[in-house]
Parts: sequence; structure tokens; C-alpha cells
Amino acid sequence: MSTNRDNLKEFFSSTSGKIGSILLVLFILISVFVVFTYPLNFGNTIWSNPAYWSDYPKSAPPTWISIFGNENVEHQIIDFTSPVDIVPISNQEQRLYSYTFNYDSNISPTFLSLSMYDVVYHDRPPTISVSILRPDNEEVLIYREVISPPRPGEEGPYIRYSDSPFRINLSGDKSVSSNLIQFVQDKSNSQISVNDIVGSNEKYIFSAFSPTDSQEILTGEYKILIKFVTNSENDSISKIRFVLGGSSYGLLGTDSLGRNISVGLLFGFPIALLIGLTTSTITTMIGTAMGIISGYTGGRTDTIIQRFSDTLSNIPLLPILLFLIFIFGPQLWLVMTILVLFGWPGLTIIIRSMVLQINSSQSIEAAKSLGASKWRIMYRHIFPQLAPFIFAQLVFFTPAAILAEASLSFLGLGDPSIPTWGQILENGFRTGGVYIGYWWWILPPGLLIVITAMIFVFIALALEPVVNPKLKKM
Amino acid sequence: MSLLQTLIVRGLSLLVVLITVLFLSVIVLGATGYSDRLLTATVSEELRGLRQSLSQNIRDPNELEQVIEDRREQLIEFYGLDRPWYYRLPDMVFRILTLDLGEARTLRSFTGSNRVSDIVLERLPNTVLLITSATIITSIIGLYVGVKIATQVGSRLERSVSYFSAISYALPAWWLGIIFIILFAFQLRILPSSGMFSVPPPTEPFARFLDRLVHAILPIFTLVIVSVGSWSYAVRTMVLNISQEDFVNVARAKGLPENLVMRRHIIRVAAPPIVTSLILGLTGSLGGAILTETVFGWPGMGRLYYEAILAADESVIVALTFMFTLLYVIARFILEILYVVLDPRVRYK
Repeated sequence: MSTNRDNLKEFFSSTSGKIGSILLVLFILISVFVVFTYPLNFGNTIWSNPAYWSDYPKSAPPTWISIFGNENVEHQIIDFTSPVDIVPISNQEQRLYSYTFNYDSNISPTFLSLSMYDVVYHDRPPTISVSILRPDNEEVLIYREVISPPRPGEEGPYIRYSDSPFRINLSGDKSVSSNLIQFVQDKSNSQISVNDIVGSNEKYIFSAFSPTDSQEILTGEYKILIKFVTNSENDSISKIRFVLGGSSYGLLGTDSLGRNISVGLLFGFPIALLIGLTTSTITTMIGTAMGIISGYTGGRTDTIIQRFSDTLSNIPLLPILLFLIFIFGPQLWLVMTILVLFGWPGLTIIIRSMVLQINSSQSIEAAKSLGASKWRIMYRHIFPQLAPFIFAQLVFFTPAAILAEASLSFLGLGDPSIPTWGQILENGFRTGGVYIGYWWWILPPGLLIVITAMIFVFIALALEPVVNPKLKKM
Repeated sequence: MSLLQTLIVRGLSLLVVLITVLFLSVIVLGATGYSDRLLTATVSEELRGLRQSLSQNIRDPNELEQVIEDRREQLIEFYGLDRPWYYRLPDMVFRILTLDLGEARTLRSFTGSNRVSDIVLERLPNTVLLITSATIITSIIGLYVGVKIATQVGSRLERSVSYFSAISYALPAWWLGIIFIILFAFQLRILPSSGMFSVPPPTEPFARFLDRLVHAILPIFTLVIVSVGSWSYAVRTMVLNISQEDFVNVARAKGLPENLVMRRHIIRVAAPPIVTSLILGLTGSLGGAILTETVFGWPGMGRLYYEAILAADESVIVALTFMFTLLYVIARFILEILYVVLDPRVRYK
């Protein structure tokens, strides 16, 4: 009889046991980190909220692909919260914000945008103006706007953009093009019109206006200048955000809504482990209990349980899962419940056949003759003999649950309030990411699903010789 | 006699599975109000047709309304919409059995029909073609490799097959399909990425056949890859178990050549359990086919599932769930017959 310590040694002596456990610990650590740092309603308030992602580049590849020589623009989100200078002009006050950066890329930013947060004014509406000072010392006015005036009957102080920020896409805005047109005509010496430049304003703001190459970018030191002119010193603006859209973003890029894929994938870690472990634990518990009862009690109970299990385990899982989830609506707990409902019978059939063998053993006979109750024998004498096998089954069933949820999500029936790896992959697939070549959107989620499933397969493999000592000989 | 009896018992238990699925879906549809909606839609569809044909003959609008209202009441009684859903159970079961599920909301068959039965039945052959060819290829490769590695336990080939089998258990068919599309259709550009025919399809019959074959390569290859590893491993284990039996040793001791021992004494005995493991893998390959068809745009019932989910077409989904269960039950029964044929113990009991 081997001791627990021997078993552990046996388990860790195999390569698959080592790899599996190390990865599992890593995955658990990541999950713990996510559980403590992410808000609980991450899916609804952040992931599925397009406004949250509006300042990120859309469908951008990861930053590190620039290593392979791809031309790259760094994504910059510049937040202005406190003015560098306040200039009083008669009864007005001009607040100056500025930011200097070095632009050395050969391509223009993918977009420019401006957002304003929480504007409060007391008297007349304030004005905001944004200009850029280029390396050739040209100051180009990009945008000028008066905050919306008081509505009829509205009493001060007037609060603007507090629920959702004011956001404008400077690249595609016609008023920006009108502001730029004089500058562009002077520089390029041509009678270009406003309609020609709208939609690609950013290209002209950063253009070198080289006569030979119209695409050439003026590199060097740029300065963003923002003037916020108010009529009262009590007026306030909490934040101004200027975004220089990059051509790449983050560790794993973004999807077509600008969502940071690595953020979504991180959230998938605890969800995948939750789906896998909860489903397999409950399934194994029910399967074991039914199997032991069926095998030990015999008689009519046995027949009923076996007929029932036979039928249930013979129902093709994916079609019935699709049907039920479609009718009842995509909810994660429901998916897990259905997986349990159709998962336990398979185990029950196996456990029963094992119990039938144990039944005839002398230890059970001894317990019976000592007057042990039915439940005591099942719990104290039969269950412990099966425990290692049951544990191995639990591990082995875990990836099945994870893969089933991923398949369901991939077919478009994922729970929209809880983003999973399968859903991220499905989004990429449905948007045509496979055909357009958004590999960073397709490969990582699939790879994570495979790795997670593999962890449990590896652990199950390493458990096999421990559970089933006969295999050692082979 | 006993052979027939066994088959009847197996057949009956499979029939129970089919009926369970039918009743489960009908009860779910009834209790959630879906069946009411399905039937109401059928009624209004019929009334619309009636109104069109009657408006030619009846000029008076009041009279027309009266006739239609009468017909509506008749139809509501006919379909049992005036009574709670559980009175309609047998009727609904029969409707699903005959795929009489009315019209699909937005989906159309390739010929333009919007009848659910037309849409589903038209795609059935494509799914059967995909699953059958993949299963046959997997079985042949699995048998060959499984038997081969059973004779060389511990070899590099044997170990790589067992690792591959473990990996393929964790490999979702749809993700593998996507990888293959990226690799073979976009990087190497040697195979088409989706569909069953080129657009426009070739007119000459042989070219048509070749065109279909080329389109089928990737889906079938994907299905084979995800299941062939575990299959070979299952065959290996069964062959290995039997080759340690006494009668095999006796056969060897008699001096029979090794391939004869393998053929007549090991594989012959291992065949029934091998079929059993094929049976157990059946639900898995059915699910795999649904996902593979979706990825490759293969116009079968699996791809239809995806389209029906996107279009929220409930009657198509009900029909598909039934058809897949039916497909499973039939495939399963064929394998049961194979099992009975292969296992003499069942025959001479």
C-alpha cells in the first residue's frame, strides 16, 4: 500500500505532472490578481461599453511587432488636468495647457481626438481652442469651440459633460478641416479644398509638405497648446484629453471596437477556471453518489438509475446544449447547469461497474457483518477505495467543460455580460478577422483555451499511474 | 434469433433516446411559450395566403374580414392554441418528427424556399458526407497506427502518438480549423478557405467533383486531426490488453507467424471493444462537425445552426436539434449492428 507521500513523488516525477502543476499555479495566481483588481461587473460596464474604448486605436496590432520592422506610431493619451499658466485678460481668464512630444515616425497618427470632462461655468460659456506648434515653428489652429450656452430657464452654475465626456474626432471633423485649409494651401501651394482634406486632417497636420513625396511626415518636436478661456475664476474643467491614435497598441493589440484584447483575455482566466472546476466538481459529485448508490443498493433503484443514465449519456451534447441555451437565453450559470445535467450519467455508469467489483470483496463483507449501516458502508468503505479514480476523473472532466463553453461562445451563444476567451475569438471570427489577418485577435484566445485544457490533461496523465498502478508495468 | 433480439433491444433503447430528446424539446418549447409563438406565426401565415386569394373574389371588406375571422378561429382550434400547451404535446412531437415546423423567419434554402424542412433536408447530405468521410479516414488511420504502435511500446512513435492524443483532447476543432485557414488558405494559398464550391462552380462534372474535393480537404483534415490521436491510442490500448492474454501466447508458442497472430487472434478479438470506443466518440465527432462546418462555411446542418442562431430562427434550431439527434441515433445503430456482427458472443448466447 503506497502512502500519500509516495503518490505525490510519483506524480511530480513525471514531466507532464511538473508542467501541469506549474502552469496551474501560474493560472491561479493570474486569476487571483484579476479577481482583486477587476470590477465585478467588468463585462457590462467596461468590456461591452464602446464609450470606454473610444480613445483606443481600432484593430491595432500589438506594439512589439515593430521589432519586425513594421512602421509604428506610439499610441498617446495625453491628459491635461492643471494649466501651466493662467493669464488674466481684462475680465477674462485664459488658462494655458501644453504638452511637448517628439514625433519621429514616418507615418502620421491613425487619428486625433479631443475630449472634455466636467465643465462647470457660472456666467458666460467658456471657449476652448487647440493648436499645434510644429517643428517648423508653424502654429496651426486645429479646433475652436464654445461650450454649449445655458438652455432657456436653466440656472447657474451650468454643468456640462459630467455624465459622459464631450468627445470629438479631430481627424474627420469638417470644422477642423476649415481651420486647417489656409495653412495647407499656403504650405502646399495648391488650391486644395476642405472636402479634400476632411477625414485625413491628421495627415496634413503632421505633413512635411515635401514636393516630391506627399506622404512624408515632418519629424521633430511638436507642442500641443490648449487655451481654455473663462469669464470667472470659479469656472472649472476637470480634464482635457488629447489622443494621438497609434498604429499599434498594448501587448496583444485591440479589436475592431478599440478594446484592449489583453485586458479581456486576462478576465478570461478566472472565468475559465471557474467554469471548468465548478462544473467538473459538481458533475463528479453527482456522478459518484449516483454510481455508488446504484451499484451498492441494486434492485429497482439500480435499474432506474441505469436506464436514466443510459438515456441521458446517449444524448448528443452540443445540439441539445445549443437548443436549451438558445431557448433560455445565454447565461453562464445555465450553461454550467446543463453541462452537469448531461455530464454525470457517463461517470455513474463507470462508477457502478467498479462498485460491483468492490461489493464482493471481503472488506465490505466484514463491514456488513459488523452491522454497519448501508450509508456508512457506502461512505466509509466504498468511497475511499474509489477516491483516487474519482479525483482523476474530476481533473479529466475539467477541460471538457471549458471546451464546451468555448464552443458555445464560438457559435454565438456566449453570456454577453461575462466576456470569455471563446467570445473574444468569436467576435474576431464574425468580424472576418481570419480573412483580414487580425491574428492577434484570433490566435491568443484560442491558444489560452488550448493551454488551459492542456494543463488538466497533463495533470490527469501524471495522475494515471498513481490511480491505476497496473499501468506502471507497461 | 438471439441476434435479432439483441438488435431490437439496442434499437429500442436508442428510440428511447430519440423520444426523450423530442419530449424534452417540446416541453421546453411549450413551457417557455415558444410553441405558442411558432403556431401563431403559422396561423397568421396561412391567413395571409387566404386573404390574398379571397380578395380576388370577395369585394366587400366586411364580408372578407368575417370569412377570415371564421377561418382564424378554425385554425386556432385546429392547432390547439385555445388550450394550454401541454394538451398539444403529442401533436407537437408529431410535427417535429415530420419536420412540419412552418416557415423560417429569414433563412432560405438554396433553391429559395423558406420552409424549414426544405432548408434542413437540403443540407443533410453535405453534413453526412463530411462526417462519414472524416470517420472512415480516422478509423483507417487509427487502426493502422494503433496496431503498429501496440507492437512497439516505448518507441518514439508510440510516445509521440500518446502525447499527440493528449494534446488533441485539448484542441478545439474550430480553433484548429481557423489555424488551418490562416496557414493553408492565406499563407500558402494552396486551398480554398471556405464554402463547398468555387464561385462560379465549374460546369463539367469531373471538374465539379475535383472542385468539391478541394473544398472538402481542410474540413475533413481538421476533423481527422482532432480525433485520430485518441483513436489510435484507444486501439493501441485494446490491442495491447488482448496481446497479453494466454491464448495469444499459445498462438505464438505454436509458432504462428506474428502477422497471423495479430490478424486472427488479436485484432479479431479487439474489434468489438474498438467499435465500442467508436460509439463513445460519436457524440464528440457530431459536435466537432457542427463547429468545423461553421468555421469552413461548409453548407451543412452545422453551419445552419450558426446561421439560425445569428438570425434567431427558433423553428430551424428545433428542427436541427432533432435532426442531429436522429443522425446520432442512426449512426449509433449502424455501429451497434457492426458490433453484433463482430462479436460472436452476442450471436451464440
